[in-house]
Amino acid sequence: MTNRRSFLQTALAGGAASVFITRDLYAQASGPIVIGHQIELTGGFSSWGYWHDKAAKAAAKLINDGGGIAGRRLDLVTEDSESNPATGARKLRSLVQRNRAAFIQGSVHSGVMLASIPIATELKTVYFSTGEATEATGSRGSRWAFRTGSDTYSLAGAAAPWAFANLGKTWTMIFPDYAWGHSHHQEHKAVIERLGGKVHDPIAVPLDARDLLPYLTRIPQDTEVLFSVFFGAQSVAFYTQAKSMGLERTMKMYSVSGTIEAIAPEDMDGAAEGVTVVENFPRSLAAKDDEFHREHLRLMEVDGVHAREANSRRVYAKSHAWQAWENMFLLKAAVEASGWRTKRDDPALVAALEGMEMPNSLAHPQGAKTLRKQDHSGMVDTYISRVTGNELKPVQKVAKETLATALPPRFDFSTQAL
Amino acid sequence: MAEITTLALNGLAWGLIVALIALGLSVIFGLLDVINVAHGDFFMVGTVLAWVAVDATGSFAVALVLVPILGLLLGALTERIAIRPVLSTIVLTVVSTHGLGILMQEGVRATFGATPRRLVAPVGGTITLPGDVQYDVYRLVAAGAAALALLAFFAFQQRTRFGTWMRAVRHDRETATTLGIPVARVQLLTFSIGAGLALLGGVIAAPITTVDFRAGIEILPTCFMAVVVGGLGNLPGTAAAAVLLAVTEGVVSAFLDPSAARIVSLCLMCAVLFLRPHGLFAGARA
Repeated sequence: MTNRRSFLQTALAGGAASVFITRDLYAQASGPIVIGHQIELTGGFSSWGYWHDKAAKAAAKLINDGGGIAGRRLDLVTEDSESNPATGARKLRSLVQRNRAAFIQGSVHSGVMLASIPIATELKTVYFSTGEATEATGSRGSRWAFRTGSDTYSLAGAAAPWAFANLGKTWTMIFPDYAWGHSHHQEHKAVIERLGGKVHDPIAVPLDARDLLPYLTRIPQDTEVLFSVFFGAQSVAFYTQAKSMGLERTMKMYSVSGTIEAIAPEDMDGAAEGVTVVENFPRSLAAKDDEFHREHLRLMEVDGVHAREANSRRVYAKSHAWQAWENMFLLKAAVEASGWRTKRDDPALVAALEGMEMPNSLAHPQGAKTLRKQDHSGMVDTYISRVTGNELKPVQKVAKETLATALPPRFDFSTQAL
Repeated sequence: MAEITTLALNGLAWGLIVALIALGLSVIFGLLDVINVAHGDFFMVGTVLAWVAVDATGSFAVALVLVPILGLLLGALTERIAIRPVLSTIVLTVVSTHGLGILMQEGVRATFGATPRRLVAPVGGTITLPGDVQYDVYRLVAAGAAALALLAFFAFQQRTRFGTWMRAVRHDRETATTLGIPVARVQLLTFSIGAGLALLGGVIAAPITTVDFRAGIEILPTCFMAVVVGGLGNLPGTAAAAVLLAVTEGVVSAFLDPSAARIVSLCLMCAVLFLRPHGLFAGARA
């Protein structure tokens, strides 16, 4: 039963709540724009996370020095996923709910990324995936999730036909037993079999395995192309142990940039010599030698051959971390194009992102690209390089137009309601 | 048959290296009742120091001599700072060594970096096994070195006065004290030896695996399996169990997926825990 006292209590509570709600909706309309960065500063991906952090911070500084986003300061708030999906998901909630991040530059760890997309969707927050598992802009994607860079679908579509024609027709694939590895296997297998090649049973290696010999002995001897997908320490273990078994003498070694990301071939003392690698931002400046690329490398303090940091032995995780740089500028462009002021304007911002063109520039040093409207995937130039004399040297470029034609969108998120 | 030979040989070689590392864990548990969950990180520090030593001097032999000595010192320091204050409560030793492990990992990440490195083996080349499989000669050298280190440890334990003290303290700490054995010093040196064995294992294994701040995380469960199957604190049992588990896993890998072979190993461990809860070689200890 309502009496005067309970009515007053309800009214006061309602009034207080409305003050908070109003603050949430409007208080940020003129203040800084917060972008949350969910990265791997510790754990298995920390050698990559360092570069994602550095790239995002450098881009944010450049944007703020140039007047910010629509005249508002960009505040970059960083959270460490610890390379752990559960932790990453928790940190994502923290970024949105505690730090009030308007947009999220997301994880490169496919497990973290796939755990985060449903949460970003639930929180109605734009989330940029950086990892490669195709599900992020596929079966587990949503209208809130975007990816400027490559995924397993585009890497397979761009480079597997070239590898099939130039390296061999009989393939074996060896990869870590988690989302990223299986995704690469499925996409490459589909391409190779469509071209008439033979793909042996896959070899999935537990993430904690360091003695890979039991797995390497399972590689059929008629294999012409050994497609490997590893990262970090397991990658070094793979190249070292494959070399010690002399596998490169009987088969061509083919891989994606993740396998050699943040690792200089010269630090592996020849173990990676001859490996063909698919990159989307070539480590070698010579592969895309223009003023924007050069300036980007200068700001990131790395050289144009090994992409090694000037004051350390670190090697730029270039084929992935460029997204942390470019997505800052992409968000700036989308905010300014859509007239975004608060989260209420998100539908207009999402619509602006869908199909957005990015010109080759300092904002987009990887090159001109399109964020395809239907599947929210970046159509980017892809480069095929080979480790020669302990350097990654360009072999072939696959233009983004070729990629867009060869890879029709398999999903259409643009029709989903926001 | 050729595949079985290769995988069994590899299991034996890898098992001997694991035995060396697991022995350190067993020494520390058997004599001090300390469950050292940072043991894998001592191994990791061994791989990193080996890389640094080889990078600085160009000599693997220097690393092989210097790093275990550094391990003894690191172990002694750890015992005084992180173990002795909590030695009376076994649970606290788990907490203490867990924290120590995090410190070691993050310390290496902050100084050495997160990028994995390769340490080139001091002995190159391969031998041809049946089935035309090329097998890395260094693995055999590493297995031989690990076997020698194991024999040296057991000789030390059986033939020296300090080894006798170690066994006496493990058997009955109070009686050892009344007999005038310097128990505190024995504990200190025991922990040092355990850490030294882990670092030595790191040096030997580094050219096979990788040098990276997370290397200890992967090796620790394998070592614990060897300690459990061999019998807690049973030093020869631990070494034998490490080899047995690795050879079993290797042979089973010839018939099943290697991941399934790992499951077989875990099932074997469960069976041992059910049937012989004090370990497969509990009788040998008695």
